[in-house]
Amino acid sequence: MPMPRSLWNGTIAFGLVRVPVKLHSATESKRIAFKERHALDGGAIEHRRVCVKEGKEVPYEQIVKGYEVASGEYVVLSKEELAIADGPQARVVEVDHFVAEEEIDPIFYERAYYLSPGKLGEDAYRVLHAALLRSGRVGIGRFVFHNKEHLAAVRAVEDVIVMQTMRFADEIVPDSQLEIPRAAKKATKLELDTAQLLIDQLDGSYEPDRYEDRYRDEVMALIERKARGEAIEPPEREQVTREVDLLDVLKQSIEQQGARKRSGSRSPAGKRSPRKPAAGKPSASKRTASKTTKVKPAKATATKAKRAAAKRGGS
Amino acid sequence: MARPLWSGSLSFGLVNVPVAMFSAVRDMDVHFTQLHAPDASPIETKRVCSADGQEVPWDQIAKGYELEDGRWVLLSDEDLAAAAPHKSQTIDVECFVRESEIDPVYYERAYVLSPRDEAAARAYALLGEAMAKSGRVALGRFVMHAKEHLVSIRPRGAVLTLTTVRFAEEVRSRQEIAEAVAKAAEPSGEQVENAAAIIAELEVTFDPSRYQDEHRAHLQRIIKRKQKGQKIVAPKEKVEPAKPVASSAPDLMGALQESLARIRGEAAVGGAGSTKKKPARRRTPAKKHSSKSGAGK
Repeated sequence: MPMPRSLWNGTIAFGLVRVPVKLHSATESKRIAFKERHALDGGAIEHRRVCVKEGKEVPYEQIVKGYEVASGEYVVLSKEELAIADGPQARVVEVDHFVAEEEIDPIFYERAYYLSPGKLGEDAYRVLHAALLRSGRVGIGRFVFHNKEHLAAVRAVEDVIVMQTMRFADEIVPDSQLEIPRAAKKATKLELDTAQLLIDQLDGSYEPDRYEDRYRDEVMALIERKARGEAIEPPEREQVTREVDLLDVLKQSIEQQGARKRSGSRSPAGKRSPRKPAAGKPSASKRTASKTTKVKPAKATATKAKRAAAKRGGS
Repeated sequence: MARPLWSGSLSFGLVNVPVAMFSAVRDMDVHFTQLHAPDASPIETKRVCSADGQEVPWDQIAKGYELEDGRWVLLSDEDLAAAAPHKSQTIDVECFVRESEIDPVYYERAYVLSPRDEAAARAYALLGEAMAKSGRVALGRFVMHAKEHLVSIRPRGAVLTLTTVRFAEEVRSRQEIAEAVAKAAEPSGEQVENAAAIIAELEVTFDPSRYQDEHRAHLQRIIKRKQKGQKIVAPKEKVEPAKPVASSAPDLMGALQESLARIRGEAAVGGAGSTKKKPARRRTPAKKHSSKSGAGK
């Protein structure tokens, strides 16, 4: 496989050290690529840029970027002016803080990139990589890419450095705007214990390779049916059964899960007491501490037996 | 509140919680409109059918898939919903895992779940509380926008947030880059120690509110100036004292040592020597177990 095309060349600045790097996309979409077609005659859909005033198609060279300062009133910025806005630091990721990865709420993450060493940057790249690995910390920096500033997390992932763009705090929708309906009654201790017991039963470990997009096959099968001229019946809306008693349903879930487990091999290592003191108190117990701090090596203790249990739970 | 992006039910065990899904993030970017340069009027994008040259309204646009023989199969959204009716209506929680097991590279987009009514709110709150206590996040899957998504669901205060998690095949191989990296000489123990010491000196607790999008603010200032008819010119580059631009040996070791000396020097005089940086809020050993910085509070 060839080295993925680089999207951006720049520098990671860390202390007085400059690491020339290239940015490569770490992810790619595997969704089925549909094209827009006219439903009536099947014709291909073209996107045409049309001037509102003249109603005529406009060639690309005649398009500029305008910012609407008042209704219908625009301030036009040229490419050069946009570059000035990017500033002289546009090609530098200034990493001036380092944090523990588990402190970052996943909702901040945006896009992931691999960094490769830029010209003459191999030595500095390896030093930064080794130091990130040793400290187990994540560098926080920011940079401008595509005329937008991004917060970025810089981490060592096995043998390469990964940079992930992150949202700024004000880009996260505040809770106050969410209007989440609240329950009138708090859960009882019994309900909470029972729910935790169910979580324990469904305890697993995340292995990316275990999951594949099966829906894609279903869509491909549908495409084949439609190609043969079959009519596709609209699906019925599923009837969601509303539990009369939450506690009863939880208990039934646990019984059902337990029956599934008994039919397979026992996995005592996967069992965890649901009555552990609340997480968040590091001194409560070693295990609780490892839960909250998420120390990586603790992962190794996720036993094979437990994984097997998770597989059953997940299937 | 905005219209939900998806609604259905969240199911774990035999419990079904009717939920609605909203984006967890909002767009704060400075948006530009495409304008026609000669007359400064806005550009509209029109969808035109290549067969008859006529503009096509939204409800007449189908998803087309080209077969190997060149024929096109047209699908409507209803057809696609029929491909996996259950998955399109239900987020099935398959297991609960430690969040630290999910490499952040896999995270894709963030959403917020909201219970659809008060009865659902009870089960919703219970699941959140139980997950917080057990230190686990839920892993499930469902179909939205004609794509299956693996998702992780976790409590954030009283709110359940959902993040789509990429499938392994959507994450590219690192091998080529790793091979390129491995060609360089292994760094010396001393270099790595110095670099790790710099990291330790710069360690803080993650506080998202500390970082503001300066570019956005800068862009808005430039727009204001341009609106007033001012000419936009690049600021003169500041003449900085020559920084050691060190990316390769032997300067690299010198740059590492000098960085460390400067950072420690600044720390020793309480940040007085620092020119622009606010003194970093250091992380105390006692705070090692601090929980995630809450977002959106």
